[in-house]
Amino acid sequence: MSLRTRELWFLVPALLLGMLGLSAGASARLDELQAGPWQTALGVAMVFIVMHAVLRLRAPLSDPYLVPIMAALSGIGLAMLYRIDPGLAGDQAIWVTLGGIIFCAVIVFMPDHRVLERYRYVIGLTAVLLLVATMVFGTEVNGSRLWIEIGGGQRVQPGELAKVLMVIFLAGYLREKREVLAIPTQRKLGLNLPAFRHLAPILVFWGAALAAVVVLNDFGTALLFFGVFLAMLYLATGRALYVGLGLGLFAAGSLFIWAAVPRIGVRVQSWLNPFDDVQGTGYQMVQSLYALADGGVVGPGFGRALLVTEGGTPRIPALETDFIFSAVSNDLGYVGAIGVMLLYVLLMARGFAIATAARDGFSKLLAGGLTAVVGLQAFIIIGGVVRLVPLTGVTLPFMSYGGSSVVVNFAIAALLLVISNRSRQGLVEAVRGVPAT
Amino acid sequence: MNRSIRFLYLALASGFALLVLMLGYWQVIAAEGLDERADNPYKLEQQRLVDRGRIISADKKVLAESVAYREKGKKYYRRYYPQGSLASQVVGYATPEQGATGLEQFYNRYLAGSYGTGAILDRLRQETKDGADIRLTLDTRIQRTAEALLSGRKGAVVAIEPRTGKVLAVASSPTFDLNQVTTDFASIRKQSDAPLLNRATGGLYPPGSTFKVVTTLAALGTGKWSAGSTFDDKGVYVVDGKPIYNSGRAKYGLHNLTDALTFSINTTFAQIGDQMGGRKLGREMNRFGFARPVEIDLPAGEVAVSGRYRKGKILPNEQRDSDSARIAIGQENLQVTPLQMAMVAGAVANGGRMMRPYLVRRVITKDGVVVKQQRPDELDSVSSAYIASEVGRMMQSVVSEGTGTEAGLAGLSVAGKTGTAETGDPNRNQAWFIGYAPAQDPKVAVAVVIEDTSGTGGTQAAPVAGEVMRTALSARPVPGEPTT
Repeated sequence: MSLRTRELWFLVPALLLGMLGLSAGASARLDELQAGPWQTALGVAMVFIVMHAVLRLRAPLSDPYLVPIMAALSGIGLAMLYRIDPGLAGDQAIWVTLGGIIFCAVIVFMPDHRVLERYRYVIGLTAVLLLVATMVFGTEVNGSRLWIEIGGGQRVQPGELAKVLMVIFLAGYLREKREVLAIPTQRKLGLNLPAFRHLAPILVFWGAALAAVVVLNDFGTALLFFGVFLAMLYLATGRALYVGLGLGLFAAGSLFIWAAVPRIGVRVQSWLNPFDDVQGTGYQMVQSLYALADGGVVGPGFGRALLVTEGGTPRIPALETDFIFSAVSNDLGYVGAIGVMLLYVLLMARGFAIATAARDGFSKLLAGGLTAVVGLQAFIIIGGVVRLVPLTGVTLPFMSYGGSSVVVNFAIAALLLVISNRSRQGLVEAVRGVPAT
Repeated sequence: MNRSIRFLYLALASGFALLVLMLGYWQVIAAEGLDERADNPYKLEQQRLVDRGRIISADKKVLAESVAYREKGKKYYRRYYPQGSLASQVVGYATPEQGATGLEQFYNRYLAGSYGTGAILDRLRQETKDGADIRLTLDTRIQRTAEALLSGRKGAVVAIEPRTGKVLAVASSPTFDLNQVTTDFASIRKQSDAPLLNRATGGLYPPGSTFKVVTTLAALGTGKWSAGSTFDDKGVYVVDGKPIYNSGRAKYGLHNLTDALTFSINTTFAQIGDQMGGRKLGREMNRFGFARPVEIDLPAGEVAVSGRYRKGKILPNEQRDSDSARIAIGQENLQVTPLQMAMVAGAVANGGRMMRPYLVRRVITKDGVVVKQQRPDELDSVSSAYIASEVGRMMQSVVSEGTGTEAGLAGLSVAGKTGTAETGDPNRNQAWFIGYAPAQDPKVAVAVVIEDTSGTGGTQAAPVAGEVMRTALSARPVPGEPTT
């Protein structure tokens, strides 16, 4: 069986899962059997079939499991959004379509991702400019400045794109510097460290991440950026010391900010003791915990939990974005939520497998970094929902409502598949004796 | 680099393993506790789908029931309270918006049908169980009398059956209409007299002279004093350089302990308290359950702890440095609930044995299967039967010839004690009466408190107590099916 046929065999049940979820959610609304929004469901299924077809033609040797995993996550996400508010699912379907177009464009127009390495500084600069632009022109929504209005009542989250650009830059930068960073040349404070000029970027990054917390009022994005940076530093150098040092510095800086910025202090307080102020700062967290408790082991099924009031307002503020995982846990119970988490672990397993199989340092770092972005982001927001870490406003990849997030995650998947296709192609050519390009 | 990639994957995957464990904590281990929280809207929302059990009084009146209605083709249930405001603070309410209170909260598990080991299995099978009815010890005839007597005033009445601890009436005035909770809760909340507060169990008042019953039991218990012990009243008793006077600065001269209780002579009880000391009096208060939450089937937040308070906090009963002379006459920051004082009267009536008060005698399914049956439960022995009967005789003389004559009932002997806690403002006395009847074979014990009155316990509270006891004694069991 070819890789693409295998992909199709996994894709079909993944798509059926989403479609069944949608009609189950629709049936629960009226308490009678309904087909649900079949046009939307078919449309989204078509998007994935087209993606599959493009891969067949342009990247036939790429990993066969990524697209089915994406389809399953997007499908469950759409079904959840539909049961919260059918309008949201309509929007999301459009964005999934847009994501599919970007996905195909990446596959078709960038058969070799290694061109990106050449432009690493331009890409890095663009990432910084995007973030600065958000700080300057951004509009504040729910207290965080993450969006830029682009007219027509639409707004984009440049940080989402900056995230990917940063990973590309870091992959290029770290490939170049990995030797000097890996070899200690001086001993200070009992630690073997490389020359200061090589360490400086790390310290700059640490400062920038903390500054972002304060300026953007967004702990999640800062944590994500910094976490991915450390992950890639570790991938490049193999030195856990950097991770320890980096986390230590981040923790120290966070503690300082916690003590110095009252707004952040309130957040930490509502993380540690949400029940102290059930009607105020702890409201969102407590309502979410009630939803988790209500879900229990198996949950009542798609659309059957009482997540939305009679009037149509979700009981948990930001249910469709930050708290989509609460909706899954409530409707589908512990069992369903574990299933979704396993999908993310599977996604990481495939991403890191692609990184392992890649044949040059840049590709490995890029694939590893992109996978770490998605995995870490999922961990941060689910961790926030289950109160393992303080709650931060990042999206759950492929599931949360939001155009920027969906499109960027589809682009990430496309990049991973290009890398995967490339390394297998190289292998095939090497075996045949054709020089790798 | 492949080694680093593997480690990174392992690190992230173990992170997800932690997430799975943490989520399991919320969805499985902590779930039941979260479900039962009063402010959890999910549980209450789900209750709209449950045919909640009825709350039925001892005389077979329905106090709360669920009425079915259809909306968008779905069947829902709405709570209806046929008796309106009757016993509103005890019955309580259960709504998604305002949460749950009273018996509606305490017995939610039974009323909502989520009791028993089958609950989890039912959930797995997606089945809902019908709620079970709860049958009260409370009698609406006694309750109605008590509320009518309190009407227009602020105060509370508690009536219990001394031998069993069955609570016959728990009135708190002003009241509110339970059916109004869903339609216009804001206006109930806006009222200045706090109708939502259950004054009978959660209201704290200085006990005044009713506390002398506790002191008398303690005094006889020492063996140093008896009903006939004589005292010489000079109109004042000085402790720590500060004088204690009798009510109205009266002077009684030579008298015995029975007279002291009959006419509520402060100087004598102050002297007894002083000589007995804080430790001994404190130990006695321990036996009556002061400074401990009363175990009754109402939510903990609605039952206040009786005892000595300092800066809003309850103090232990036994304090060496305490002013036992003033405690003995019910002063020194003593704050008590009417429920606690009814239990004191009940203990004297029941030969010194204090019974645990309870409101629900039976939980029964709609098919007639008894799920839970409450049996009388003895809490503590506060005195020997002999001492209790001695104090009972002294309390009879309070009603026959002392301060409590207004509580007297024709052809029956009544035992009691009045109390008038003064606040400095002559129009804001807290008037008390505690007692029981008939004295020879007690069937009902009561505590009555009237807030902010210019009268005394004898003029304000005693007549209410008499009337409530008379109603209780004439109430016969009602046969047949529950009615609204």
